[in-house]
Amino acid sequence: MSQPVTGDRTLPWGSGPYSIKRHGTTLATCDSEPVQTPGCIQAHGALLVLRLTDLQILQVSENTLLHLGEEPGSLLGRPIAHLVGAEQAARVQEMLAHDALERGAAYAFTLPARDGMQALDVCLQTSGGVAVLEFEATGRAEQTADKDFFMLVKAAVGRLQAPGSVSAFCQQVTEEVRAITGLDRVMVYRFHADHHGEVIAESAREALDPWLGLHYPAADIPRPAREIFKRIWIRPLPEAAGPLVELVPLANPDTGLALDMTHCALRGASVMYSEYLANMGVAASLTMPILRDGELWGLIACHHDTSTHFRYEVRAACELLAQVASLTLKAAEQAEQLAYRLKLEDVHQQLVMRCAREGDLLALTAQQPSLLDAIDAGGAALYHLNRWWCVGNVPDLPQLDQLAAWLYEQPELSSSTRPLFFTDALARVCPAAVGMEVVASGVLATVFSRQQRGLLVWFRPQTVHTVRWAGNPNDKPQAAGAHGMRLTPRASFETFIESVRGQSLPWSEIEVDAALRLRLLVFELVITRGERLADLNDDLTRSNEELDAFAYVASHDLKEPLRGINRYAHQLLASAEAKNSDAGEDRQRLESLMRLTVRMDSLLDSLLHFSRVGRMELEFEAADLNGVVADAIEMTGALRTNNGSDSPCSIEIPRPLPVVQCDPVRVCEIYSNLLANAMKYKRHPVARVEVGHIGADETAERPNAPKSTAGQHIFYVRDQGIGIDPRHYEQVFRLFKRLHGRDDYGGGVGAGLTIVRKLVQRHGGRVWVDSVLGAGTTFYFTLAGKRVGAG
Amino acid sequence: MRRQHILVVEDSDEDFETVQEAARNIGLLNPIVRAASGSECLRLLRLWRDAPRSRDTLPALVLLDLNTPGEDGRDVLREVRSDDVLGSLPVVVVSTSANPRDLQFCYANGANAFHVKPVAYGMHLKMLQAIFGYWLGSVVLPA
Repeated sequence: MSQPVTGDRTLPWGSGPYSIKRHGTTLATCDSEPVQTPGCIQAHGALLVLRLTDLQILQVSENTLLHLGEEPGSLLGRPIAHLVGAEQAARVQEMLAHDALERGAAYAFTLPARDGMQALDVCLQTSGGVAVLEFEATGRAEQTADKDFFMLVKAAVGRLQAPGSVSAFCQQVTEEVRAITGLDRVMVYRFHADHHGEVIAESAREALDPWLGLHYPAADIPRPAREIFKRIWIRPLPEAAGPLVELVPLANPDTGLALDMTHCALRGASVMYSEYLANMGVAASLTMPILRDGELWGLIACHHDTSTHFRYEVRAACELLAQVASLTLKAAEQAEQLAYRLKLEDVHQQLVMRCAREGDLLALTAQQPSLLDAIDAGGAALYHLNRWWCVGNVPDLPQLDQLAAWLYEQPELSSSTRPLFFTDALARVCPAAVGMEVVASGVLATVFSRQQRGLLVWFRPQTVHTVRWAGNPNDKPQAAGAHGMRLTPRASFETFIESVRGQSLPWSEIEVDAALRLRLLVFELVITRGERLADLNDDLTRSNEELDAFAYVASHDLKEPLRGINRYAHQLLASAEAKNSDAGEDRQRLESLMRLTVRMDSLLDSLLHFSRVGRMELEFEAADLNGVVADAIEMTGALRTNNGSDSPCSIEIPRPLPVVQCDPVRVCEIYSNLLANAMKYKRHPVARVEVGHIGADETAERPNAPKSTAGQHIFYVRDQGIGIDPRHYEQVFRLFKRLHGRDDYGGGVGAGLTIVRKLVQRHGGRVWVDSVLGAGTTFYFTLAGKRVGAG
Repeated sequence: MRRQHILVVEDSDEDFETVQEAARNIGLLNPIVRAASGSECLRLLRLWRDAPRSRDTLPALVLLDLNTPGEDGRDVLREVRSDDVLGSLPVVVVSTSANPRDLQFCYANGANAFHVKPVAYGMHLKMLQAIFGYWLGSVVLPA
C-alpha cells in the first residue's frame, strides 16, 4: 500500500514528498506527521527499491557507498543482479513469486563480507507495488556464542503459557525479552483509557533507576506512532542518535509516490522520538506492541544505554514473543478477572450468610471479612435502620447524609433493574462532595431498600498520592531546532507527582457487577427479615393476647372455685360453732383453709396486675416528682396516724425533686411500692426513709450502678431497715419471691419489686439495689432513656 | 302490691346460694329468680316484657355476672340496653375481677354499677347485702 502524498498545503512539506531530514516536525504537526513515509532510513543499513516487473533499482538510500561499495548514481537504473549477482537475483525473483511479503519483510540471503565491508543480512518485502531490499550488518561476528534461538524462544513461550495475573504475566514477558535481547531495560508499558501510559512491569540492569509505576503523558507516543504499532510487530532503533539517510530520489520515479516504510526495519525515526529517547539518555530502543482484539493495549519497550545492533534472529524472536504475549494477554486478563470475580463472590457470600445467620446487616461492616475485603476500596458505608455503619476511610456523618441525599436524586439509583451509581470523580458531578475528595473521589453506590433508604456505598480515595509522572507532563520547553522553532519532548524525566485532584481509580465492570449481585442478596435478606419480623410481630401479638386471656382466666375461673371453698369452710366453721363442738383442731384447719384461699386470691390479683403493667400504654408528660412522691406517700398511708399517736414512719426529702418526663401515675406506683417496702422491713418502731436524687452531672457515689446509667439522673429511696444480703440482690426482683416468712414484716405476695422493675423498664430505665445487712437498703432507679413501647 | 322480683344471672351454684343467703340475712322479701346463663336471662326478660302487664312482671333489679356460659354478661348488657322497654332496667354487674377493659365496657354500655366479688365469704355476703340494701332500700326505681 502506498501512502499518497498529503495535499495539505499548510504543512511545511506542502504537496511535495516528505523527508524527516528536510522538514522535521513540530509539536503542532507531530499528530499529522507522515511517519509511514519518512523519506529517510536509519544510517546503520542501506535500502534499495526495485521495480517488480524487471527488478531494476528505482530508489536507493544515500549511504550505499558505505555499506554496498557503490555510489547511488552507479546503482540507480541497474538490475539488482548487478549488485547481488544472478543467483541471489533469482532468489529474489522466486520469493516475490511465492512468498507473502506485503506485510512484513522476510530474510532473503546474506551478502558476504568483501572489500572491508561487513557481511549483510538482506530482507525482502513488497510495498505499494515495489520490492524493497534492506541491508543490515549480520552482527553475528560480535556475538560471543550463537544461541539456539529456536530453543530459547520455545522455552520462553512455554513459560508464558500459564499466566496467573496480568502483572505477573507482564513481568514474565519483560524477563523473557531481556534474556533474549540482553538489553539494559525492558518494560511493559500499558495505555490507559486516556492514552497516557504506565510502566506496569520492568526488568532492568541493577544499576538503573526503576521506572516501574511511572506514568507517561499521552503526547509521549503520538497518535501516528500508536497507529503504526497496530500493523507492525517490531520497531528497532539500534542507534537512536544516528544520522538519517534520505532516499534518492525521494519519490518513486515511476509513480511519483513516497515509499511506504511501515514494515521496514530501517524506517527513519521521527525526530520527536529520537530527541525523546536522547532526553531520557537512551541510545537504542526496540519496541514491540501488545495488541488485544486488534487494539493497542501496551508496548514492550526495550532501552539500551549504548547504541547496539539488533540481529535478524533477535528481532524475529522478539516479534514472536510479542505475538505470543498479545495472544496470551487475554488469558492473563481473564484469569485475573476470574480470580477477582471469585474472590468478590466468595467474600460477598460469606457476608450475606453471616448476615442471614445473625439476622442483622451489621455484619457487613462490623466484622472480618467486611464490605471492604471484597471490592478494592478505601472505605465502605451502609445506611440501615436510620443510621450509618462504616468501615475503612469514609466521609464524616454529616457528609454521608448530604451525599446520600444527593445520591437519591440521581436517576441511575431509581432504575428498577440496575439501581447503581458510580463515578471516579465525584466532586465534579456532586457539589456536596467538594471537600471529601481525599477519601471519596470514587463512589460506587447501590440501593437495597428504597422505603427505608437502605444504601450500600464504597469509597475510593483520590489517586493524587499514587500517580508518579516520568517528568512533568506539562513541561514542553521550546527549542530552536535545525528546522526552526520546535517544541521538543520533555527535557526532564525526573519523577513528577502531579496533583490530579478529585480523581480515583475507575470502577471495573467486575466490581460494578459484584455490587449489583450483593445488592440482590442483601435485598432478599432484608425482605426475608422483614417477613420474619412481621411473623414474629404476629406471634408476639398472639402470645400477648393469649397471656391476657390467661390472666383473665386465672383471675376468673380460678377465683370462682376459690370463693366456693372459702364459703364451704365458712359454713363448716359456722355449723361447728352452732353445735358448740370442742374440736379446736378442726376449727384451726378450717380457718387456715379460708386464709389460704384469700392468699391465693391476692396472688392471682398480683399476677393479673403484673401482666397488665407490661402491656399498658404509658402516658408521658413533664411531671413534678415532688407531687408524685406526695401522692405515693398518701397512697401508702405512711404518715397517717391512728388515734393521734406518732406516725409509724418519718420521710425525709433532703432537697426538692426535679421535673421529669415520665408517666406520673406509674412513677407514683414505683414510689409507693418502694415506700411500702421501706415501711415493712424496718428495724425500729419508726421507719426512717429518705427520698432523694443524684443529678446527671453530679459526682456523688453511685454504688452498683449499671454502666448504661452513666450520665443519667438517678432517684433513690433509702431506709434504715433490716437490709438485704448481697446474694439476694437479684432475687428480690423475682415475681412472688419473698426472703422472709409469709406473714413476717407485714406479709405480702412478693410482687411489689417485680412490678417496680417492670415499670422502670417501661420507662427505659434501670433499677438496682445497694444494701448493708442490718443497716439499711437503698433502691436506685433511673427514668432516662427513650420510651419503650407497649408489647 | 306484689313485690317485684330480682333477676340474678349466675352460673355458679355456690355464688347463687350466697346471693340467697345475703337476701335472707337482710330480710329481703322480693322473690329471687335465677338465670344460669346469658341466653336464659334474655329469654326470661323478653318473656316478661311481652306479657300483658309487663310493668308488674319485669324485675326490680338485674344482678348480672359477667362470665356466664354461652352469651356472657357483656352480650346480655348490650341486648338489654338496646331494647326500648328493657333499656331502663337497673343492671348491677358483679364480676370476679376489676379488669379495666370490663369496667370500661360495662359503664360504656349502661351498667348502673360494677362490683367485684371478693373471695372471702364474709366479704362477699357483706357486699351483696349492701347492694340489696341500696338498690331496694334507698334507690327510687323506675315505676
